[in-house]
Amino acid sequence: MENISKSVTLENVWKVFQDPQSGKDITAVEQADFVIAPGELVTLLGPSGCGKTTTLRMIAGFELPTRGRVLIGSEDITYLPPNRRDTAMVFQSYGLFPHMNVFDNVAYGLRLRKMPEKEISEKVMRFLGMVGLDTLAKRPPSRLSGGQQQRVALARSLIVEPAVLLLDEPLSNLDALLREQMRVEIRRIQKSLGITAAYVTHDRVEAMSLSDRIIVMNKGKIVQIGSPHQVYRDPASAFVAGFIGKVAFLPAEVAGVDEHCTVRVRGRTFTLPRFSPDLKAGDSALVMCRPESLTLLPPGEGILDGKVTTNVYLGHSIESFVSTEMGEILVQVDNPDARQIFAEGEPVSVSFIPELTKALPPEE
Amino acid sequence: MTIPSRKFLSLALSVLLFAALLFWMYNALAGSFGAIAENHYKKAAEAAMGSVPSKDEAIGGWIRRISGPSREFDLLFLKGFPEDEGGMKVFAPTPGLGDFFAHHGKDPDFARGIESAMYDEIYQPEQRFLLGGEERRVLFAPAHDGETGDVTGTAVFLFSPGGFDRFLFLLRGLFLLALVLFAAVFAVAGYSRDPITGYVILGLFTLVGVFVAYPLFEAVRLTFLQDGKFSLETWKSILTTRQYVTALKGSITLGAFTATASTMVGFLFAFVISRTKVRGKKFFSAMATLPIISPPFSLTLSIILLFGNNGLITKQILGLENFTIYGLGGLTLVQTMGMFPIAFLTMVGILEAIDSTLEDAALNLRATRWETFKTVTLPLSVPGLLSSWLLVFTNSLADFANPLILSGSFRVLSVESYMEVTGMNRLGHGAALSLLLLLPTLSAFLAQRYWVSRKSYVTVTGKPSGRMTELVSPGVKRILVTLMVLIVLFLFSLYGTIIAGCFVKNWGIDYTFSLANFREAFERGWRVLLDTLTLAGAATPIAGILAMIAALVLARKKFPCKRLLDMLILTPFALPGTLVGISYILAFNKAPLILVGTAAIIVINYVIRELPVGVEGGLASLKQIDPAIEEAASDLGADTPTVFRTIVLPLIRPAFISSLSYTFVRSMTAVSAVIFLISAKWYHLTVLIYNFSENLRFGLASVLATTLIVIVLLTFGLLRLVVRKNENLAKTMSI
Ligand SMILES: Nc1ncnc2c1ncn2[C@@H]1O[C@H](COP(=O)(O)OP(=O)(O)OP(=O)(O)O)[C@@H](O)[C@H]1O
Ligand SMILES: [Mg+2]
Repeated sequence: MENISKSVTLENVWKVFQDPQSGKDITAVEQADFVIAPGELVTLLGPSGCGKTTTLRMIAGFELPTRGRVLIGSEDITYLPPNRRDTAMVFQSYGLFPHMNVFDNVAYGLRLRKMPEKEISEKVMRFLGMVGLDTLAKRPPSRLSGGQQQRVALARSLIVEPAVLLLDEPLSNLDALLREQMRVEIRRIQKSLGITAAYVTHDRVEAMSLSDRIIVMNKGKIVQIGSPHQVYRDPASAFVAGFIGKVAFLPAEVAGVDEHCTVRVRGRTFTLPRFSPDLKAGDSALVMCRPESLTLLPPGEGILDGKVTTNVYLGHSIESFVSTEMGEILVQVDNPDARQIFAEGEPVSVSFIPELTKALPPEE
Repeated sequence: MTIPSRKFLSLALSVLLFAALLFWMYNALAGSFGAIAENHYKKAAEAAMGSVPSKDEAIGGWIRRISGPSREFDLLFLKGFPEDEGGMKVFAPTPGLGDFFAHHGKDPDFARGIESAMYDEIYQPEQRFLLGGEERRVLFAPAHDGETGDVTGTAVFLFSPGGFDRFLFLLRGLFLLALVLFAAVFAVAGYSRDPITGYVILGLFTLVGVFVAYPLFEAVRLTFLQDGKFSLETWKSILTTRQYVTALKGSITLGAFTATASTMVGFLFAFVISRTKVRGKKFFSAMATLPIISPPFSLTLSIILLFGNNGLITKQILGLENFTIYGLGGLTLVQTMGMFPIAFLTMVGILEAIDSTLEDAALNLRATRWETFKTVTLPLSVPGLLSSWLLVFTNSLADFANPLILSGSFRVLSVESYMEVTGMNRLGHGAALSLLLLLPTLSAFLAQRYWVSRKSYVTVTGKPSGRMTELVSPGVKRILVTLMVLIVLFLFSLYGTIIAGCFVKNWGIDYTFSLANFREAFERGWRVLLDTLTLAGAATPIAGILAMIAALVLARKKFPCKRLLDMLILTPFALPGTLVGISYILAFNKAPLILVGTAAIIVINYVIRELPVGVEGGLASLKQIDPAIEEAASDLGADTPTVFRTIVLPLIRPAFISSLSYTFVRSMTAVSAVIFLISAKWYHLTVLIYNFSENLRFGLASVLATTLIVIVLLTFGLLRLVVRKNENLAKTMSI
């Protein structure tokens, strides 16, 4: 199927709601400024209430931005109503038409486009086949499982061949196993059709495994845009670091900044290749350590002494939980067979590999 | 909001352009009408001025003769001219005109006018003069002697420009309205991303503005007017005249009696049905809802047949002489029979929602059954009891049909206001009385809505337990059930009496079987029945569709003044029918909207009055539907009308059909408002029933009442068939 992919651009978009009770302003989205390239899948990731759904709904046209412009391709669609936009949305609650069967649900968009009934029938069956539902065409949605409903919703959106596919937590109602399957399926279909897609989730694993790029939001603001690897390895702030994966922060003091950042942690000096550009000599900072950037050493040899409380054996690695004076820290010991293992209850010392960490300013 | 200013400029420009166009049209029209009016004045003057009598004694009579019949102008005659030897003689038919000339005689306009007349020319100054506090246009015309044809003096005409001014005022109003409408339509088209919704909202605003707010405003305004000027006379007379104060007290007394009795009966039925294990629950609950759909006059009619002056029980069986059913007692009885279903339905909802584990818990803590009832069940049902009481109270106050026939010497406001309007032709008083009725009604309504409903204790406590412990001992239960059976039997006998009334030759005198009533009733009532069906049939689809559209707009769209629209749509629900009727004849018996006497006014009245219930029903079902369903449709390319047609309407079909049948039934059985609006051309069956009863033709009234009952029952039967429970919908809607 040929699909002329289009980009999606938000230019300095704001959305301010009025609280219906108090009449106070709620800034749901603040200064959103980004471009989704043609054929790209971008996730909007952030904690609950950070404005992800609102952003998506402004692209779909269900909300009018308070300020700013929304473009699809080079066309300004800020004021275009939803039914005249080339977008299709998969809703968190699916929004299937309860008075129509699966076939009619999927055919709805095509009938609006006045396609001949014969072509509709052929195309609907093809799309139902694609999502593995061709045998259930005559069922009403109320007699489908959650995963099947979700796939009907997906087929219904995809069949109109939208330039932009919008998905609002489409997998949140599903159990873990089904979620994983559907994730792969969505990615496969999106790639094969070359559709530009925006995907809202607050599940970081989903975001990491699915997206070309991740937009991390917090309290209405975009805090970082980058590839999954970038936001994981090189987070813009302690918030992003904490939200995107397991992390331990070691308090430090910046000793000097050139192309590297020299920090002092508990009386010892380290040189870190990655650091936030905001840091200056004399600032206090945090050293962001992922579990795999931490190492365990015999007591006294590392930076922080503690005691192993639990070891979780995962085969390719061991996750050791170490209780220290700074709380419990998770250390991932890769390739355990080649390393010294500390048993539960044994005293240890924690250290880190400077190349795998990043110096960040502390959160206010 | 950042809105492209180009758009704003073009909007402002086109509105300005349109305004200029309208202004030009207004001026042209006003000018040409002015010219017509002027011409008219001149013609009148010329016609009058051909034949002035020569003798002075005849002039007084002559003036009276030509200014007499039409009363279009006053006339002042000046015989001779100031330069003549004899001077000028003033003939003023009234002292007021004499004073007027004494006051203005030296004005330059008068000098010019008299001079023009001398040269046989008409002169009309632009300036207006005051005569007895009223503005007049003055025209000076030469007067010719009847015999010689010579100019003998000046005739000063004082025209009252009232008609012309009123016309200009109206014209101005219409043009302003056109401008506002144009601006609104243009703004919607330009600014709204969804112009169709914009137009729908605009249309709804216009509808309720014209047919709710405007008539009400007219009614209120009239009560503050006396001879066209502001005055508190009407209200003073209403609040100080014994007769009216008695009626107010009467309404409130009757309301309180009926509300108390109905709440008690309603609670009895609700309690026995929902809190005991009695057999025939379905039957009892059907019996307790049936009267709610009985047409007006039907219960009153059978009460009169049974207990009236010539009643079967009072006269024929008991032979009572001085007993009268007319008055407070009879009214309370009839209203209670007709309105206890309201209390029953409210109470049953509340009682069934009380989790019986609460009662079990009390019993478990060693409370006796009576103590449990007193300390748990009763307190929990207090909000329901209050609600029922207030609902019945407002219904009783607004009731018009029962007191109209049965009040006797007992006075209530609704009937009093009807009498003022139809009997005395005092519309102001009628309006004021029905507004007075609004006070207790509205406060009870608001109390119910905002106070009692908030105090509700009913909580959803998980699954209601299937089992239930009876709170009454077998003895008490027997007494309660007996009471219930008695009431049901009484209801049966009431309906039975109406049916029996159809087949009896002459109730009260001759009880032989006869079918003559049917023939005569349908002979005389057939056309009216068709009228009634036509009007109700026309209102039904309009009200149904409109209600669903309004519900959709109110539930899902954001727009300015939404609260106002919501309020205006729901207002008619709280208005007594008499008030609606009176305000409609006030508002639509004059320009710009003359509708009185047409079918349209009756249909509009039905639509406006039944809209609130339909809208509430639509809103309730829309609340059950995930908005994402409609959003999904619009996202796939459906515009608002398509979403409405293909998604919303099918999903709220039960509410839609209920609204249709509700409107139909209510319109078939309407009386309080429609009695003011009917005409010889469009009559209503209920009013015919009333006329027959007034003329003691109870047989005919019974036939028509039975006909209405059959129609109502058929409608609801049909409704049941059409709205079957749809399992698929029910399941998915509760997302
Ligand atoms: N229609 C509305 N009126 C008022 N406030 C709103 C409205 N819609 C959203 N908000 C507010 O805007 C903020 C962002 O809401 P949004 O739904 O975009 O969050 P979200 O990131 O999607 O959260 P979640 O992960 O819980 O779905 C919230 O504080 C929310 O309360
Ligand atoms: Mg959301």
